[in-house]
Amino acid sequence: MWKFQLDPVTAKRFQRFRRIKRGYIALLVLATLTGLSLFADFIANRRAIFVWHQGKAYFPTFTFHTMAEFGQKDEFGFDDLEADYVTLKATLKEKGGGFVVMPIVPHDPYEPDFNYPEPPPNPPDSRHLFGTDSQGRDVFARLLYGFRISIFFALSLVLVGQTIGTTIGALQGFLAGKFDLFSQRFIEIWSSLPFLYVVIVISTFVRPSFWMLVVILGMFQWIGITFYMRTEVYREKTREYALAARSFGASRRQLIFRHLLPNCITPLVTFTPFAVVAAISTLTGLDYLGFGLPAPTPSWGEMIDQALQSENRTKIWLAIAPFSALLLTLFLVTLIGESIREAFDPKQYARYE
Amino acid sequence: MRSTLSGSRLGGALGRSALVLCVAGLSFGVVGQAAALDIPGVVWETNDTDPPIGDPSAAKGGTFYDYITSYPLTLRLVGPNSNDAFAGWNRSFSMNMSLILRHPTTDRYIPCMATHWSIQPDHKTVYYKLDPDAKWSDGQPVTADDYLFTNEMMRSEHIVDPYYNQYWADHFEAVEKLDDYTIKIVGLYESWRPMEDFGMFPLPRHSTQLGPDWVEQANLVPGVVQGPYVISEAVSGQYVVFSRIKGWWGEDKRYFKGMYNVDKIHLKVISDVNAAFDFFKKGEISHYTVTSARRWATELDFPAVKNGWVHKKRLFVDWPQGLYGFAMNLEQPIFRNKDFRKAIQYTFDFDELNNKLMFGAYYRMASCFEGSEYTNPRLKPYGFDPRKAREHLRAAGFTKRGRDGIFVDEYGQRAAFTFTYGSKSLERHFTVVKQKFRRLGIDMVLQLLEPGTAFERGLERQYELTLMSRTTNFYPSPKQYFGSVFKKTTNNNNIWSFGTARTDSLIDIFEKDMDRGNRIRAMAAIDSIVQDEAFYVPFWRGPYIRFLYWDYVRWPAFYLPKRTEQYLDWQVFWVDEARNTRLAEAMKNGTSLGEDLEVDADPYGVKARLESGDNTSVLGQ
Repeated sequence: MWKFQLDPVTAKRFQRFRRIKRGYIALLVLATLTGLSLFADFIANRRAIFVWHQGKAYFPTFTFHTMAEFGQKDEFGFDDLEADYVTLKATLKEKGGGFVVMPIVPHDPYEPDFNYPEPPPNPPDSRHLFGTDSQGRDVFARLLYGFRISIFFALSLVLVGQTIGTTIGALQGFLAGKFDLFSQRFIEIWSSLPFLYVVIVISTFVRPSFWMLVVILGMFQWIGITFYMRTEVYREKTREYALAARSFGASRRQLIFRHLLPNCITPLVTFTPFAVVAAISTLTGLDYLGFGLPAPTPSWGEMIDQALQSENRTKIWLAIAPFSALLLTLFLVTLIGESIREAFDPKQYARYE
Repeated sequence: MRSTLSGSRLGGALGRSALVLCVAGLSFGVVGQAAALDIPGVVWETNDTDPPIGDPSAAKGGTFYDYITSYPLTLRLVGPNSNDAFAGWNRSFSMNMSLILRHPTTDRYIPCMATHWSIQPDHKTVYYKLDPDAKWSDGQPVTADDYLFTNEMMRSEHIVDPYYNQYWADHFEAVEKLDDYTIKIVGLYESWRPMEDFGMFPLPRHSTQLGPDWVEQANLVPGVVQGPYVISEAVSGQYVVFSRIKGWWGEDKRYFKGMYNVDKIHLKVISDVNAAFDFFKKGEISHYTVTSARRWATELDFPAVKNGWVHKKRLFVDWPQGLYGFAMNLEQPIFRNKDFRKAIQYTFDFDELNNKLMFGAYYRMASCFEGSEYTNPRLKPYGFDPRKAREHLRAAGFTKRGRDGIFVDEYGQRAAFTFTYGSKSLERHFTVVKQKFRRLGIDMVLQLLEPGTAFERGLERQYELTLMSRTTNFYPSPKQYFGSVFKKTTNNNNIWSFGTARTDSLIDIFEKDMDRGNRIRAMAAIDSIVQDEAFYVPFWRGPYIRFLYWDYVRWPAFYLPKRTEQYLDWQVFWVDEARNTRLAEAMKNGTSLGEDLEVDADPYGVKARLESGDNTSVLGQ
């Protein structure tokens, strides 16, 4: 494989980024949150993390265990339904014979909690710290799982989009000539398609899945970056080092990936965080409009939609949770983006008069 | 909700849906018999003994304020764009009065534009004697020529209205004038309700220039009408005012006494029903129909209610509900198994939805002809019963739980299906249903599509489970839903692809048999078969009108007639000027008039009947 070597200038820029405190901290916070969200199933779940029952250990987080395995029965006498770990915990505490380790929030983002005299949504209390939504589901759990989906959706989409965009942009710049001419016209046509409408039209026929949505949006995501990569490569390929590499007999592939791209990384790095912001907003928007991921997928857009329903206009907790989460996430990503942009700014010491 | 082949347009064609008639097999207890007037062999019937529709002591005068959600695109009642919400008001107030009516409380025929009628033994031909007092709003008399003109105009391509064209082509053989005030209408087929199937309204020949540009010309010109109101003011985008005609010809007719009481009806354009609620609270509109159970349960304790300035009423009425519920596609392998279908029936937990999401406001349906006289009274809903569901699942071959907790059969087939729907507002109900199904080992995948696409998927049978939602007329129409002839093709209302020789013969009895008892028995049998086949999971209904009104609006003791779909079907309310003054005074001083604590009104015993578990509607009194 090729060795992707950062040129010293770029390496220096990354060092500079680390010194910009607000961006660096935002990156750490966001990375931590993203990392934590990977473990959402251990943070908010109806299934226990660990059960010790009659001398046997269970790790039910990702597996289905029946009530029978723990000697439980529901009110209709069924024992092959999913075990109820919250009740099990109480029983074992009372009668001994084992113990249950529950997640901090013993709710998953799907199961309605109807144990209130009033129909949902119910305001925050000790059982549901963020309240419940209009289906009686725990708002915190939905927020957490919604974050995981949003952030990984955005990262996947940006990864797909920027990879395609960078490749095409680089090829345009490098090959120039007819390829550049025709592909540029194609991009002009393609970019005039209103992507939101395209997604909406597709969604009227099929309810898209996570990856399908990544692919559909990815078809439009790549366009933006091609313009920058194209011009960068156009400029870089005429530089002396590129000519030198070519005269040493470097192959096209080597030339592009080893020599040119590392020198063209500035626009890619600076635009990527903002692409993430756009991707999160797009998913939220689509979910809000009802064209995103199918119900009951936890999603911020769906939460915002609920909060804005006229019948929920007095249920303020429904609005606070998704809006502050969205605000915080976009703020963090934007901070990172701003800092990267600043770190990569060639006019570091420019003075404006 | 999409209306069906028998939707609101039909209502328009025959007067309006609530004004539409009636049963030939019905016995007329008090039908007056006039002597044969001029045609040999024709025995004229009339009815001058039923009670008035409204309250004859109602005061006349005053202004009533309400709202429409959009300014009308046209004032015509025929042709393009003539079926919006405003057209409902327009029909109700000013035009399209039918020849006769079915009394909305006693269910018997009563005179309207015609004073007498005579149904011929061929079940196709009806003679009518027109009311010689009837006048157009420009003073011209309404005569037989106007009916001939209706027959011409509705068949004309100049009206650009394929619906009416088709309706006329499918129903009318001939309309004949015998003299200026006697007409004969001949239908195309034998019917046990010829006055309903072949009913008609007059159109003014003298003031209509029917030609290629009629649609354009008549677009924004208030028509010449036979009803009690004319459009007197219309400000684009803001409001429309109807004014009562002074000395309207029908004012002193027996059945119109106590109806059409207010002088002016002011319809403000308010595009959003929630905004309209705020307008109501401010007193800018007189009346507000509450459609949200949540609003009804939680938002109606504002000061005006507490002070008795505003009344809230839940009036139980007797109007049939169409099909509304889950529909299973019998062409899909998983739903070919009857036991699996029954398992779904027993897994659907209506009580949880009703109590936990809908404030316990609704009643479960069991029949596919719910609320009509053709409901099978012995039908009980399946009800939530996980034990029975489990038995049926087992019988369907789903015996063990897979690793995700969903049942699988011996071939590895999961107990899973996709539910296709277009109603986003019901999604929260469906996610609760999904969770319930999931817990009991059935996986229902939710697929929300754009409403039009979801509707088409249903018609084309491109679904496994879908949401069926159809309005109905006073009489059910079983053939379009259960006729086996529709199984061969798609794009029809037989969306489950059901139909057997047995049900076909029963439908035939309903359509053709002149004996009401036979028809009722046949329909009850269809109802039982459909329930046993279990491909339709009926949802719920609210057989009532929930509304708010300011204290100056008065109603008869029974509020609205029994057969009322929406309150504007019958204008029996009036405005009490003395109370208006009293209310203004009380509001100025902030004094209370005493809260009206009688919220539920059940003058027809509908609530009592439903709560005793009887879903039928009783015809007549």
